[in-house]
Amino acid sequence: MFSSDLKRVILQAQTRRHFLRSLGSGMGSLFLGTSLARYASGTDAAAAEKSSLSFARDSATPLSELPPEFPAKVRRVIYLHMAGAPSQLELYEYKPELKRLDGQDCPASFLAGKRFAFISGVPKLLGSQYPFQQHGQSGQWISDRLPHIAEHVDEICFIKSMRTDQFNHAPAQLLVHTGNPRLGYPSFGSWVLYGLGTQNQNLPGFIVLLSGGKSPDGGKQLWSSGFLPSVYQGVQCRSHGEPVLYLDNPPGVDRPLRRTVLDAIDEIDKQTYAEFGNPETVTRIAQYEMAFRMQIDATDAMDIGKEPESVRAKYGSKPGESSFANNCLVARRLAERGVRFIQLYHWGWDSHGSSANEALNIGFVDRCREVDQPTAALLSDLNERGLLEDTLVVWGGEFGRTPMRENRNGQEMKYVGRDHNPGAFTIWLAGGGVKSGLTYGQTDEMGYEIVKDPVDIRDLHASMLYMLGFDHHKLTYSFQGLEQKFTSVKPARVIGEILA
Amino acid sequence: MRAWAPRVAERHRTVLITLSPILLILALIVILPPDGAERAHWLQFIGRFHPLTVHFPIALILLVPVLELAGKAKRFPYLRASSQFVLGLATIGATVAAFLGWCLARSGSYSGRLVTQHMWGGITLATLCWLCWILRSRTTEPNIARLYAVVLTLSVLVVSWTGYRGGQISQGEDHLTQYMPSILRHLIGLPDEAPSAQAAAGSFYAVQVQPILAERCVTCHGPAKQKSNLRLDSYGWLMRGGKHGAVVKAGNPQGSDLLRRVTLSPDQDDFMPKGKKQPLLPGQVKLIELWVGAGASGSLPVDAIKDLPAQGTVAAAAVEVKFPEIDPAALTKARESIAAAVEQLQNKFPNTLDYESRGSAGLVLNASLLGVKFGDGELAAFAPVAQYITLADLSRTAITDRSAPAIAAMKRLRVLRLAQTKVTDDTLKGLSGLDQLQSLNVFGTRVTPASLSAVEKFPRLEHFYAGQTAIPPGVSVPQGLKGKLVL
Repeated sequence: MFSSDLKRVILQAQTRRHFLRSLGSGMGSLFLGTSLARYASGTDAAAAEKSSLSFARDSATPLSELPPEFPAKVRRVIYLHMAGAPSQLELYEYKPELKRLDGQDCPASFLAGKRFAFISGVPKLLGSQYPFQQHGQSGQWISDRLPHIAEHVDEICFIKSMRTDQFNHAPAQLLVHTGNPRLGYPSFGSWVLYGLGTQNQNLPGFIVLLSGGKSPDGGKQLWSSGFLPSVYQGVQCRSHGEPVLYLDNPPGVDRPLRRTVLDAIDEIDKQTYAEFGNPETVTRIAQYEMAFRMQIDATDAMDIGKEPESVRAKYGSKPGESSFANNCLVARRLAERGVRFIQLYHWGWDSHGSSANEALNIGFVDRCREVDQPTAALLSDLNERGLLEDTLVVWGGEFGRTPMRENRNGQEMKYVGRDHNPGAFTIWLAGGGVKSGLTYGQTDEMGYEIVKDPVDIRDLHASMLYMLGFDHHKLTYSFQGLEQKFTSVKPARVIGEILA
Repeated sequence: MRAWAPRVAERHRTVLITLSPILLILALIVILPPDGAERAHWLQFIGRFHPLTVHFPIALILLVPVLELAGKAKRFPYLRASSQFVLGLATIGATVAAFLGWCLARSGSYSGRLVTQHMWGGITLATLCWLCWILRSRTTEPNIARLYAVVLTLSVLVVSWTGYRGGQISQGEDHLTQYMPSILRHLIGLPDEAPSAQAAAGSFYAVQVQPILAERCVTCHGPAKQKSNLRLDSYGWLMRGGKHGAVVKAGNPQGSDLLRRVTLSPDQDDFMPKGKKQPLLPGQVKLIELWVGAGASGSLPVDAIKDLPAQGTVAAAAVEVKFPEIDPAALTKARESIAAAVEQLQNKFPNTLDYESRGSAGLVLNASLLGVKFGDGELAAFAPVAQYITLADLSRTAITDRSAPAIAAMKRLRVLRLAQTKVTDDTLKGLSGLDQLQSLNVFGTRVTPASLSAVEKFPRLEHFYAGQTAIPPGVSVPQGLKGKLVL
């Protein structure tokens, strides 16, 4: 009854234009159908088959699990992004020579041909603001700002020779998370979700948690699915209250009523899909269904109140707050529940020295305190539960900071800060897939430029995909005539040296 | 000379007008000399026609004495009449070429001794041509005829010299003498091989630097090919440099083009070695840098520089990853015996069982999300594929010790997770056959220290996760579990 009414309405809506258009495209598809079939039966099809894998799934279950290409060490990712780019020179890069030259004029060779966001004229060199000490068996130098992470250096693989070609936050963050500094490309999490699916069909496979009071500069594009079907995009959850806004039933609506409503909507959506074949309609159906299932599972997964006090104390988490500590604890709960990709952003690392909150000696100290203990707790908690062995934990920003003190407009500033340095920064990896207690790459005595083993963002991407069981050339999606891939078009190298 | 000049000027106003373009170019090169900077595209675009146009005035100037001399013979008297016209053309050509030459030099980052000489040669030549042209019309006076002969001879000499300098700029300084037979070389007083400087046997250069150059550079810069007219197969050649001048500046590694080029990013045009070849290793670069910094001497003893970097360490550490290829036929065969059973189980327990990878017959069993809905009975259903299971995650399920035999049948098991289940020491004691097991997880179970002796016997075990069990943090860890027990 209902559907026959609907068909009548649709028929009435058909105009002469619709008819002519469908006639035209119908002829076109007849032609394309025959010519493409001939094309596809040739060698190109064989080549395409060899160069990329099939990620075809039943349209009703677009998130179902697929095996990786080859046996993988890593089955899930927890990516901790420090938005704003933390200073490697205050955390991981011990540079006594820079400390010795503190306060001296920066040599001209450092400035020639370089672009800076704010430095102008001749800035002064700035030694690290904090003392360093060696830690663990590996003897890694860590500053006194990260006393908790310092206890885990033997589980960590530091890449000190990261470089990027972007020196502003938003494009640099896009490059780190989508492999491209422009908008419109799928994020790392989306690629992984597309490639592997997710085990828990009652939770999103790619969850994003924010802290630090502000979204990262790159915005929601950082967890967008780009040209991949939008079912693979990251779902941003809140770390207190309802995990997703409007997830709870409104007053007067109970679960059976909700189900009835969803069934009606699904019916319409399925008819729309049958007529237009738009994959976004499938996404819509899947999202409605997931939201219904999430009403129970997500609320439970996000509820850190269910953790014993001792565990919460380890993270330094306080339920009800929107904090990095809470998000780390939620990340561990999500990892246990089979969520494929968990992305945390903590904002506030842009230590230019332009205000107290952006000063290396004030705001930066708070940022370190906010992330140090939770990060360390996450590592040890994952390890204790045996999850770290097949989880990849990534910690880093979008670029590095200069060994020169920032001097906006050529003036000495009230607070101490550093400008952006795309030429060298530190990212660390821990968990399955990477050699622990290793330092890869090296910068010069000032921590300014890479002198050994440079790693481009795309090399890191290729390496992480390898850990997840993929040849980055073969995790592809056809779009605009290209077999698009996460590492984009330039050749990327899997850093074999850091693989466990 | 002083006598005729004013007269000529008075009679022929055109004379001065024809001189003005030359004076203009002279002014240009004095006011805006080539300074080695690269400039606007238009100027450079025009300037690039200099090598093309320059050959016309050269040929025309050389043609004039031919016409004059041949015209003296009785057979070709008419030829002499053409020389005035040819001189006019030569003057225009030389002027245009000089202007284009200035455009190129000013815009195309040219500077240096050669360019300066070539430039002044060119402007002198244009002036001489013009002078010849003026004089040619007055050769009825014997004095002027003699002067004309002298100036014309001078023009021929200047065009040869300027042309040679131009050739040196574009082809390299020794482009004429490079392949000169040694008899001729002796005649004009050149040494046998252009550069005479030699490195001493056993010197730092011979032992440390030359082998790097021989391995990485000499294919293109050696006896067979001399790209950019640069040879790096001996100390003398290296110090002589190439088309762009010296490549090594003694004591100044930063200013040495050789080091600049090998340390550029490989995607830059100037980067060496060219053409997708491996960059020089950091250790090799450092060695050359140290040697240049120490004065780039050919006699520096091999042990003069201490703390040499190890050249080969980086290369040895570099690990190139090979992506495994999937052989579809072999895969089908490997999965043959279980494919049907796997499909059946996948339908019965969605999202629970799958192959560990697209190229493997190994299976991953993950029942942890099914929770208490998955118990001993359900696990028993996996018996047909048990031998293929490499990872079994049964955490938080309802399995008990009764499942121990089912788990023990998973002979290829590498990872076993039993966290937060009801299993006890009995299960662990019943798994002794799992000789592939690398990771065992009993987090949050009632397992006690009594199980440690059984766990110790797994030959390949790397991790035993036993946090929040009856195993206390201070337990005495048996020798075989040292460093493996995680509490």
